[in-house]
Amino acid sequence: MAAQPHPAASGTSVRFERTKPLVVAIFLLPAAILLIVFMVYPVLYTLRLSIDRGLGGNFTRIVGLDNYASLFKDPTFIQAIVNNLLWIVFYTGFVIGLGLMIAVVAMRVRYETVIKAIVFLPMAIAATALAVIWEFVYQPDPSVGLLNAIIGFFHGPALSWLGDQSLVNAALITVGIWGSTGFATVILSAALKGIPTEVLEAARTDGANEFQIFYRIIVPMVSLPISVLAVTLTVNVIKLFDIPYVMTHGGPGTSSRVIAFQMYIQGFNSGQFGQAAAVAVVMLIIMIPIMAFNIRRFRTSAVV
Amino acid sequence: MNRSLRVLSLFMTTALVLAACSSGTATNAPAESAAASAGASAAESAAAGSPAAGGSITVTSLWGGSEQDAFQKVLDGFQAATGITATYQAQRTDYATVLQTKITSGSPPDVAIMPGLGFLRQFARSGGLKKVSDLGIDPASLAANYPPGILDPGMVDGELYGIMVKFNSKSTVWYRPDVFTKDTISVPKTWDEFKAALDALQAKGEKTPLALGAKDAWTLTDWFEEVYLRQAGPDAYKKLFSADGDWTDPTVATAINAMKEVLNEKYVTGGIKGALGTSFTDGIAEAFSATPKAVVYFEGGFVGGIATGQTNTALKPGETIDWFDFPSFASGAGTGAAEIGGDEIAALTTNPGVKEFIQYMTTADAGTIWAKTGAIISPVKAVAADAYPTDLAKKEAAQVAGATAVVYDGSDTLPAAAPDMGAMLQNAIQGQDLTGLLSTFNDGVKAAWAGEK
Repeated sequence: MAAQPHPAASGTSVRFERTKPLVVAIFLLPAAILLIVFMVYPVLYTLRLSIDRGLGGNFTRIVGLDNYASLFKDPTFIQAIVNNLLWIVFYTGFVIGLGLMIAVVAMRVRYETVIKAIVFLPMAIAATALAVIWEFVYQPDPSVGLLNAIIGFFHGPALSWLGDQSLVNAALITVGIWGSTGFATVILSAALKGIPTEVLEAARTDGANEFQIFYRIIVPMVSLPISVLAVTLTVNVIKLFDIPYVMTHGGPGTSSRVIAFQMYIQGFNSGQFGQAAAVAVVMLIIMIPIMAFNIRRFRTSAVV
Repeated sequence: MNRSLRVLSLFMTTALVLAACSSGTATNAPAESAAASAGASAAESAAAGSPAAGGSITVTSLWGGSEQDAFQKVLDGFQAATGITATYQAQRTDYATVLQTKITSGSPPDVAIMPGLGFLRQFARSGGLKKVSDLGIDPASLAANYPPGILDPGMVDGELYGIMVKFNSKSTVWYRPDVFTKDTISVPKTWDEFKAALDALQAKGEKTPLALGAKDAWTLTDWFEEVYLRQAGPDAYKKLFSADGDWTDPTVATAINAMKEVLNEKYVTGGIKGALGTSFTDGIAEAFSATPKAVVYFEGGFVGGIATGQTNTALKPGETIDWFDFPSFASGAGTGAAEIGGDEIAALTTNPGVKEFIQYMTTADAGTIWAKTGAIISPVKAVAADAYPTDLAKKEAAQVAGATAVVYDGSDTLPAAAPDMGAMLQNAIQGQDLTGLLSTFNDGVKAAWAGEK
């Protein structure tokens, strides 16, 4: 909000700035009110709640930073952060990697639209439905679970994908990747179309092989969409809740909990809204540098 | 630049003022609701002149579907008996949070039926609930309606706030009688006989006779509670699930180790990891579907309705599905005791009709109407055994009526803020170090109890 009058102050429309400040204020007011009511106020409320016991969502007693202290002493919360890091590395990495691969390969075949449509299809499924479908796929009973039925066909032992601590996070991340790869494919495929064919032809004429073209030309030229994707996916991961909630409820034990799930448990299961608000503030703090990076990236690229 | 800063600071100030206002409302809420109830009592005295018939109250709980239909019959009975209309409001998700919000905003429902005692205590202490005595009902007059122990869970700090209106036994081990008969295995009464029966089933070709749906972690809390109740006895059980409970006491580890004598790779269908990936209802299906892989499944009395109604409608109670008492321990102090899980009714207002409704819910009439639907077991003593529509329900009611002691579901008794007991047990049956698990859990539970005060 505060940044809005900035271009005016920089001198391009000095007359407007000097003579009609009230008009500016009036035009900004509706947006400002909406932002205050729906963004600023809730953030301040959450900050206030995070230093309160907050039983049942009310301000009951100010406890200072106790909520934060107990948060970082809680092994479950540390586990949730580690799991979120796993998600960031593997989910974001695989979605972008697979997305780029499919986009590049699909561009070279005639039935590109069909491939992209198939890959994009999971995006049309609600995350909760996606989780329920995959819950069936992962069932330990081979007569129900597709994956174990396939393993059984090759005479392998049935695995409990969601009941084994060492498999559960990989299983959940796979669901996330399956659901989001289509998104990355479509974005990157559009970016690839934007690369001028002259550049590619020139490179070929100069004797570059296809791998060199991929690494030296294609990847650098789509680096902006890749970074935008990376930021979007990372933000999605930090907000991630539905897949673990539906598929494992954070279990077995607490091995597949993520930060947002922890917030839900603290607030709505335990009635400890002070603790839950502290988790929310930690999430916000993690988000800030990512958003700052994103905004700066957009600004610089807009100038260029 | 300067102006934008000034504008920003204006926004900030406004937001802070707003925040301050809202915290003001929160603290004012009790006063408001007091004013509201004062208004209500004025209305009551105004209404006192007119006949008692008529009036209406709202009742909220989290049932939907067939459970709601069954409860509606009770509400209809109430209207027939008193002329007061009770309207049911279902709140299926985030029950406690929504209820808290309604209390805070000064417009609570008149009566709430709530699962779990942590929230009952929380609402009672925050002033959201009315004492039974506040309604003009003498708690002592109710005691005779119930078997001993039934009213205890509704007490908060020595005062009666909630009254149990329905329950299920948790001391029921479900099994397939036809397989037991075929393999000439008799129903086990003791823990040793239970293990022997599992061995015998294995010897007869049932590779993994014991189904377990441990993906829903609460099934493990019930396992623990049953074993602990029978080993350590009802007094130790009540102490463990109170503020004085000590989870590092050796009896706790003993009970978990006993659980692991049967909950292990040898007996459990799909192994421990498989069970941790199997939900409660899938566990029922492992034992009672048309193509069963197990013979025995432990969970509360509600398994019967799910198994015969949803899992496999071809099941015949007594022939292909039945239950026996959770086995007792040779040196245990809790032989013959029963554990129950139930819902408590509590008043949130003293509006006209609320007293009548709470009183009606303690009568055999209400209990009988509800019992006849087959949806519940009634804690009211005077509800006749033949009120229950099925043999399984009759047997369940008789088990609790004849128990040497009745205790309430322990994990539902712990403070809402306590760490997840089921998750702790999921870790325990995977073989994690018990000393460390229990010491961490103990710290969390102690802190949660202290935080309730």
